[in-house]
Amino acid sequence: MIWAEVGKVVIGVALMAISAGLAVVLMAGMETTSGRVERKAVTLLQLWLSPEQAEQYSSYGHFEVIGSDTGTRYRIRHGRVMNIDQLDSAGNTVCEWCFAPKGNLAAGDCMLAQKIALERFESGALAIANHRPGQA
Amino acid sequence: MATQIVMDHTGDSRHQFDPADAAAVAKAEARFKKLAGAGFTAVKRLGEGKSEILRSFDPTVEETLFIPRLQGG
Repeated sequence: MIWAEVGKVVIGVALMAISAGLAVVLMAGMETTSGRVERKAVTLLQLWLSPEQAEQYSSYGHFEVIGSDTGTRYRIRHGRVMNIDQLDSAGNTVCEWCFAPKGNLAAGDCMLAQKIALERFESGALAIANHRPGQA
Repeated sequence: MATQIVMDHTGDSRHQFDPADAAAVAKAEARFKKLAGAGFTAVKRLGEGKSEILRSFDPTVEETLFIPRLQGG
């Protein structure tokens, strides 16, 4: 009788261990995939940056672009949301802008799309963007 | 070889074609039109961080990036 109970406990513990192991393997796989996607997107971004922007991004995790219609300077920080700072002549943030491509894209892809949009069709991009005052 | 790069959840998907291959060019043009119709913006890389928006398919462009439609975040 007691051996039957012990057997149930052993089986229960074994099943829990297997479940935990599977969870760890799945999470590790997701992490690896996510990291690979992020790296791939950052590699693409770096190919499209100017040398100056690549240097800024490498050193500080952000880079600056000039708006195609107004000549305004923007800083694009690494990220996907609320990561665009509109700068004044002194480099203070006067407004934060948020727009990104549809779909669940990696940060590097979002930043590249934001760069191209501001440099090529600034007004159109800002027309659909959300924004809030910056903290100059 | 020319390359069409489409941003997606994997980072991007790449499609290469030979500009001298009429069938491959036709397929690339069809892809261009399909993506543009779906709201993607096609961009040509000019180098040194510069780019140009493409309004129509150009088989001579070496690298075209397709960006999904933008939305407010």
